[in-house]
Amino acid sequence: MTNKWIRLMILLGIIVVVSACSSDANSDNDQGNKGEGDKELTIAIDQNFVTLDPQNAGDTVSIFGTRAMYEGLVGFNEHMEIEPVLAEDYQVSDDALTYTFQLRKDVTFHDGEPFNADAVKANYERIIDEDNDLRAKRNLQYVEKLEVINEYEVAFILNQPFSAMLNKFAMVPFISPKALEDDEKDIALHPVGTGPFKFIEWNQGDSLVLEKYNDYWNAANSDAEKVTFKPVPENGSRAAMLKTGEADFIYPVPQQDIKELESNSDVVIEKTPSTIARYVSINTFKEPFNNEKVRKAMNYAVNKDAYIKVVKNGYGNILDSTMSTETQYYTKQEPYEFNLEKAKDLLTEAGYENGFEAEIWGNTSSETLQGMEFIKQQLAEIGIDVTIKSMEEGTLSDEIYTPETPKDAKVQMWYVSWSPSSGDADGATRSLFSSEYFPPNGANTAYYNNSDVNTWIHVANETSNIDEQEEIYANIQSTVYREAPWIFLATDTILSGHRKNLEGVYVLPDGSVSIKNAQFK
Amino acid sequence: MIQTEAITQEQLDKQRQGRLYSFWKEFRKKKPALFSLFFIGFLVIVMIIGPYVVPYDPAAPDYNKLLESPSLQHLFGTDAFGRDILSRLAVGARISLTVSISAVLLGAIVGTVLGLISGYFGKWMDRLIMRICDVLFAFPDLILAIGIVAILGPGLKNVVIAVSFFSIPSFARIVRSATLESKEMLFVEATRSIGASNRRIIWKHIFPETIPTIIVYFTMKVGTAILAAASLSFLGLGAEPSSPDWGAMLSKSRDYIDSAFHLVFFPGLIIFLTVLAFNVLGDGLRDVLDPKTKD
Repeated sequence: MTNKWIRLMILLGIIVVVSACSSDANSDNDQGNKGEGDKELTIAIDQNFVTLDPQNAGDTVSIFGTRAMYEGLVGFNEHMEIEPVLAEDYQVSDDALTYTFQLRKDVTFHDGEPFNADAVKANYERIIDEDNDLRAKRNLQYVEKLEVINEYEVAFILNQPFSAMLNKFAMVPFISPKALEDDEKDIALHPVGTGPFKFIEWNQGDSLVLEKYNDYWNAANSDAEKVTFKPVPENGSRAAMLKTGEADFIYPVPQQDIKELESNSDVVIEKTPSTIARYVSINTFKEPFNNEKVRKAMNYAVNKDAYIKVVKNGYGNILDSTMSTETQYYTKQEPYEFNLEKAKDLLTEAGYENGFEAEIWGNTSSETLQGMEFIKQQLAEIGIDVTIKSMEEGTLSDEIYTPETPKDAKVQMWYVSWSPSSGDADGATRSLFSSEYFPPNGANTAYYNNSDVNTWIHVANETSNIDEQEEIYANIQSTVYREAPWIFLATDTILSGHRKNLEGVYVLPDGSVSIKNAQFK
Repeated sequence: MIQTEAITQEQLDKQRQGRLYSFWKEFRKKKPALFSLFFIGFLVIVMIIGPYVVPYDPAAPDYNKLLESPSLQHLFGTDAFGRDILSRLAVGARISLTVSISAVLLGAIVGTVLGLISGYFGKWMDRLIMRICDVLFAFPDLILAIGIVAILGPGLKNVVIAVSFFSIPSFARIVRSATLESKEMLFVEATRSIGASNRRIIWKHIFPETIPTIIVYFTMKVGTAILAAASLSFLGLGAEPSSPDWGAMLSKSRDYIDSAFHLVFFPGLIIFLTVLAFNVLGDGLRDVLDPKTKD
């Protein structure tokens, strides 16, 4: 017997030694990253890049990943206001139909090609080509044609006024025309743009490595020599990377680690209000969710304050409209208060006094799992038995966006968030609530279809009168909120963290990380 | 003739009683094993009456008591939803033990049958079964289980199947060697010469001889199975994340390892203790039951 205990102790000893060795190895690594005068920027984020084709990126992570390498005629500053980037200046005609851009003359692509009107034209042609089926096409859907005025001046002619047009131009980055010509299919794997950083390698799921582009037109902006984006879905590991210095910037910072990180003198935590809306989209095409009373009951059954406390650790606000307070034309609605009696009454009225079974889908991140579990607990109170199905992001996206018709769609509830990357009300409305944007065309995963809303969305796009737009969007918000195609949960507070010696990397209200001004102290 | 038979029967009973008694006398001396037995007995009691005696409803969230450290009210603290961890662990014992014991039981039954057939009949049947076992042995246990669950889909039922699947070959092999040994025994020869059927020989004479080996191995394997089931749940392939399964609890708590240590510590501790108990018990049983170590 004693023999056995000795063996056990030896085993424990070995374990301790082995784990000590591995942590030694880690700290060695950290030293390398932290080294003095070393301008390598490592950014840990919670998701994988889906594509590096800037004109086909739909998710926030892919959009900001490509923004490090690509630029558009205009772009967003820290507060999501439009500023000129590849255009020196621009003019909008009085009838709001002609947008004229004067291009910068000192811009070259990473492969040495000059940026000029021809490059704009080549990109424009790629985007509007139906066969390419690119996401950026939606941004240019009101553009009738492109006119090349001279080598450094272009004009876009619209077929109708569209007030969010400049925001949309900011969402159209330019790819080197030579790269487009050589192997267009490969663009998503080998990006060539004009941005401050050029592509080195992309190991899907592991890292995206960029290096400084020395001929960048605004090279003084950043002194980072090398940038590595690392998708780290595990919350704890991401926080640990910031603590040890393995990462210089992490987003999002897990809420449960905020207090501890704030007391760390090497780390700075930033909190920004966001345009990110958290909700559960309910498939309004399916029974029993096609009944408005059922959907309302679900909204009344969820305690939003508790949600923010439990899932968001207190960092967030109640989502009291279809969009966040940070989005253009936001109008506050009367939130669904937490009222189980009312919820039960509504379910009884709808004929489901005994509840029903339902399925909720979501990705595999720890926060999503916790959110889904919270929804499950809350809906159980009114007899809705929810099964949680968490899927890897790619699979989930396939399951949701592949069905050709609403009938084929299997999704019942989807725990998800939306952030209009262009920061405008149109971006937070059209593709979510217009019946033209059912999957696979758009993100109306609630299959919400209201003819008034459809019309309003069109009218709002066409008018250039700001007051009129504001009124229309107020109508849309109140109608959609009332008909409850979602369980409205919360808007995020953006929590990002960086090492003390890093400046200029920040998260925009839409949840995208901007590194173009990264400076090491 | 009749008389002799009656005496033999009586003697046999006495001998059997004696065997059980001498087993207990031996086993009592193995203190760690005895202690493990008590711990497992305690777990089994918790498993049976746990849901009726726990202080709190393991599924009821309390949003005013999130992530509370251990206190007198909540001995093991509360989790991210304000649920009592002690209650969850007690109710979770049922899931973890049921899954692992039924998985090993399933594996033991199939493995024993295969082992008996293989050892008794020998020849091509032996070779076939043993080669299949070799193939299964070539896979690392957990990887095989993950593969099976990936094919069948997540869920506790499939975890049972996956875990039992990888315990089949070890049982088959161990029973086979015990069978080979007892097949050559005099009493088996005797029974065969009387003309007993193969089924009777295997079932009545060889199988009882292999039971001690099976018991020892079974106990050891339960520990492994608990760990495997917890690992699968940890990876999100087993129990539904909201259920109080030990592995699932551990998995969801890992975000809080810095801020609320008790969330990880208690499920981890209970898994550790349970696995250790089964292993130590198995060790003790082997010392007592295995004739080779006894002599």
